[in-house]
Amino acid sequence: MLEEIEVERAPRVWQDEDTMPNPTWEEYAELALKQVAVSGAEYSDIRILHSQTQAIDGEDRRIASIRDVEDAGFGIRVLYHGGWGFAASSILSIEEIPHVADLAVDIARGSASLAREKVTLVEEPVHRDRIVSPHRIDPFTVPLEQKTTLLREAMERVQQEAEVVRSSAGLWARRDRKLYVSSEGSHLEFDLLAVQGEFTATARHDGRFASRSFTTPHLRTGYELIAEAQFPAEAPRVAAQAVEKVKAPAVQPGRYDLVLDAEHLSLTMHESCGHPSELDRALGYEANYAGTSFLTTDKRGTFRYGSSHVNLVADNTEPETLAATGYDDDGVACQKWDIVRNGIFVGYCTNRETAAKIGDSRSRGSNRADSWSSVPIVRIANIGLEPGALSFDDLIRDVKKGIYIEGHGSYSIDQRRYNFQFGGDAFWLIENGKRQHMLRDVIYHGITPEFWGSCDGVADRTQRRRYGFITCGKGQPGQSGWMTHAASPARFRRVDVIKG
Amino acid sequence: MTTSKPWPRMTARDEFRFLADLVLDRSTGDDTIVALHDQHSGTTRFANSQIIQNVDTRRGTLTVTVAFDGRRGTAGTTDFTAGALHDALARAERVAKLSPKDPEYLPPPDHRSFPHRTAARPETMAAGPARRLEYANEAIGQCRIENLQAAGIVSSSLSSVGIAAGNGLFAFEERTDARFSLTVQAGEATGWSAAAHRSLDHLKIQERTLTAIGKAKRSAELRELPPGRYLVILEPAAVAGLVTWVLWMLDAKAYDKGTSPFSGKLGQPVFDKRLTLQNLPDHADLLGVGFTSEGLPSEMSTWVEQGVLKQLSYDRFTAMMHGVKTIPTMEAPCLSASRPAASRVQDLVKQAERAILVTNFWYIRTVNPADLTLTGMTRDGTFLVEDGQVVAAVKNFRFHESPLRAFNQLVACTDPAEAVTSETSKLLVPAMLIRDFNFSSVTKF
Repeated sequence: MLEEIEVERAPRVWQDEDTMPNPTWEEYAELALKQVAVSGAEYSDIRILHSQTQAIDGEDRRIASIRDVEDAGFGIRVLYHGGWGFAASSILSIEEIPHVADLAVDIARGSASLAREKVTLVEEPVHRDRIVSPHRIDPFTVPLEQKTTLLREAMERVQQEAEVVRSSAGLWARRDRKLYVSSEGSHLEFDLLAVQGEFTATARHDGRFASRSFTTPHLRTGYELIAEAQFPAEAPRVAAQAVEKVKAPAVQPGRYDLVLDAEHLSLTMHESCGHPSELDRALGYEANYAGTSFLTTDKRGTFRYGSSHVNLVADNTEPETLAATGYDDDGVACQKWDIVRNGIFVGYCTNRETAAKIGDSRSRGSNRADSWSSVPIVRIANIGLEPGALSFDDLIRDVKKGIYIEGHGSYSIDQRRYNFQFGGDAFWLIENGKRQHMLRDVIYHGITPEFWGSCDGVADRTQRRRYGFITCGKGQPGQSGWMTHAASPARFRRVDVIKG
Repeated sequence: MTTSKPWPRMTARDEFRFLADLVLDRSTGDDTIVALHDQHSGTTRFANSQIIQNVDTRRGTLTVTVAFDGRRGTAGTTDFTAGALHDALARAERVAKLSPKDPEYLPPPDHRSFPHRTAARPETMAAGPARRLEYANEAIGQCRIENLQAAGIVSSSLSSVGIAAGNGLFAFEERTDARFSLTVQAGEATGWSAAAHRSLDHLKIQERTLTAIGKAKRSAELRELPPGRYLVILEPAAVAGLVTWVLWMLDAKAYDKGTSPFSGKLGQPVFDKRLTLQNLPDHADLLGVGFTSEGLPSEMSTWVEQGVLKQLSYDRFTAMMHGVKTIPTMEAPCLSASRPAASRVQDLVKQAERAILVTNFWYIRTVNPADLTLTGMTRDGTFLVEDGQVVAAVKNFRFHESPLRAFNQLVACTDPAEAVTSETSKLLVPAMLIRDFNFSSVTKF
C-alpha cells in the first residue's frame, strides 16, 4: 500500500511535435527489454538520451569559446537475482542494443554471484507520461550574436572601472530529450531545458585581488531568465563592489551574528543538509568517495538538527527547478517532503533500492543519472529553507555585531558533513542594527547541527530566491548532480569567523 | 559469469584519419580541427562489502572546430556516421561565422610527429567486468577475513585519442587507465589506499588492501587534539593534494595580470631549495602521453628547480606573446628532492619526536588565492606520532595552510612515490615532514 504523497508535475504536453525524438527510440527500447527478459532478470530499464549543450565563455572582453555539443546514447540497467548490471553505448543501432543488453545481464550475473544481501526495489505505480519543462523563449533559437553581444557588453562595462583588471562572462543552455522505459511497464518521455548566465569582475589593489560575481540561477526555463537578468545594468554595480571589496578592511576574527542571503544559503544548505540527507551516504554506499553522513538512520525522527526556526523541505515538484523532472531515473514520480521539521531531522532523499533498506514503502524519487552513460544514484532533492515571518530589515536591525554575506566563495566540509567552512562573494559589516561598509577575507566555520541550532530568524516569502547547482560531484565514476535550493535570508547567532 | 560478445573495436588510427578526412575535405573554414575521444570503460564499485554498482560503457566523441578569419566555433557529436559528422561540421561553421573575431586566435599547431609513448597496456585492454569483479572480490575477501567492511572501486579503460587539422597536424594514440581505491571501515574508523596505473597488473590490490586495513584497525580508538600548528608527516597522497593546487595556479595569463599567487616570482624561490618539480612523460609509473588535447607534443620539462620557479603554464597566445617556442605540459608531474632523508614514510615517523601523520586530505579548496591559502580535511587515517612511533589515532583536523608556506618549512622528505586521490590525477611525490603546519579546527570523528 503506497503512502499518500503529494504529487505534482510540470506541464505534460510536447510543445513541438516536430522536435520529438525519432520514434525508432521506441523500437530500441522494446528490443532492449525483450533481450533482457530472456535472461529471467527481475527488473530492467533503458534510458535513451539526446543532449544538446551550448556554452559560450568570455574572458577579458573577448569571447574565448563557443561550443555546441550533441551527446547521445543509451544505458540499460538490469537487476538479476539481486545483483545490478549496467551497460551503455553511444552507438545507437539495432545491432548494438542486444549486445549491450546481453552485457548488462552478464555484469548483473557477476554482481549477483557475490551478493550476500540481494537488492530489492520498493513498489512504484506504472507511469506513462510526457514531461516538458516550462519556457517562453527556447534558448537555442536566440541568435548567437545576441548572446555574444550581451556577454561582451557585460565584460566591457565591468572593465570600465579603473581598478578592474580581469573580467569573465558565460552563458549556458542545455536541452535533454530522454525516453525511459522499464520492464514494469513505465514509459516516460522528457523534453527538458535548462539555462544559466553569469559574469565576474576582478579588481586589484595594493598587491591583492578580489572578485565579485553576478549569476542567474540554473533553472529549467527559457532564455527569458537571461533576458530579464539585465546583465549590462548590473555590471557597474558588480564592478564597483569588486573594487570596494579589494580595498575593504580585512575582517577581525571573532564571534559574529551572520545574516546570509539566499544565494549564499543555497550552498550552505547543499553541503550541510543536502548531502547528509542522502540515504545512500547514510548507508555507506559513498564511503570510499563522497563520504557517509552524520544523519544515520537511527536519528530519523528524533535528532535535533537545528533550531525550531529551521524547516528544510525537499520539493521536486516546483516548476522550473532542476530536480523537478516529473519522474526520476527509477521511474518514480517527483514529490515534496520534509527533511527537517521544526528543527528535527525527519526525512531522507531515497531511491527504490535504499528506501527498501529502511523499511519505507515508497521511494522519494531522488535517483538520477547525469548522462545516458551513467547509472542513476541517489541525489540531493530541491531542498529549501522554508520562509519565516521577518523582513530583511528585521534580520539586520537586531544585530549588534555581525556580517551580511552574499553569494558563494570558498567552501569545504568533512566527509560526514559535520565540520564545514564557508566564505562568500561579498561581505558587509553590521553594527548596531545597520549595514556598514564591506569587509574582505571573511571565512566562517562550525559544526553543522550547532550552526543550524543558532538560527534565530528567517525572512518571509517575499525574500525567497532559488539557486541551483549542476556540478554536484558524487559517485564513482564521478557524476554531476543537478538540484535547486531556495531560501529567504536567515540569521545565525555567534558564529566563529576567521580571516581567510 | 558468461562472456558477452566483444564490443565493436575501438577507433583505429586509419579509421580516425578516414573520419577526420570526411570533415577536413568538406570544411570551408580557414582552419579546421577534428578531435577524437573514443573510450571503453568499466567500473566495479562496492560498499559494505557488497557490489553496489557494476558498469561498462562505450562512448565515442568527435569534436570539430572551425575558424574563419579568427572567428571560431566548436561542435561535438557522439554519432560517427558521415551524416552526423557533416552536421557537426555545419554547426561548427555556423557558430564560427556568427562569432566575434577572437584577438587571441591562432591557427592550429602544425606538428607532424610526436613522441611515441607506451600509453596503452595489453593487460588493461583485455580486462573486462570479470577481471574487475575478481579484483574487487579480492579486496572484499581480505576485509571479511578481518571482519571489516570494504568500500571501493576497480576500474579500467581503453581510449583512442586523436587530433587532426587541415594544415597537416595529425596525432593518434591508444591509452589505458586502471584504478583501484579502497576505504576499509572498522566501525567508525576508516583506512584508505588507492592506485592508478596504465597497467591493471600494477594496482597491487593485496598490498594496498592490507595498508587500508592496517590504518582502519589502528584508528579504532580516537584521541582529540586541539587545533594549532604541528609538525606533520604528510604521506604522498596528502602531498599530492597540495601539489595539485600549485599546478593549477601556474597560469601565465593570471601571472601577467597580477592575479596569480606566483605573480612576480618567476626565477625566484617558491619552495624549499631541495625540491624540484618536473613533467616526466616517459616515466613508467606516470600517465604520460604523446600529445595534448591542443595537438602539442608532451615533453620532459622542469617547472621548479631546486626551489626556484622556472616555468609557467601557457595557452598558445600567451606563449607567443612571451616568445615561448616550446609550450611545457604537465600531465606526468613528479616532485622530487635532491637529498631525500628517507626512502619510506616509516623512516620519517622514526625521525619525529611528536608529529601528526596524515594519510590523505579531502575537499581541498582555496581560501585566499593571492597567497594560495587552502583549506581541507584530513581523512581516513590521521595519527599521533611520539618518539618515532605511531601511538594513537586522532580526530580529523581542518587545515588552513598554503603549500607555498608549507613547502618552505620542509624538514625532511622521502623519495617520490606513486600517489593518486579522488581529487588529483596521478603524481609521483615524496612523503614530507613539515614543521608548523596549521590545523585550524577539529571535527567530531
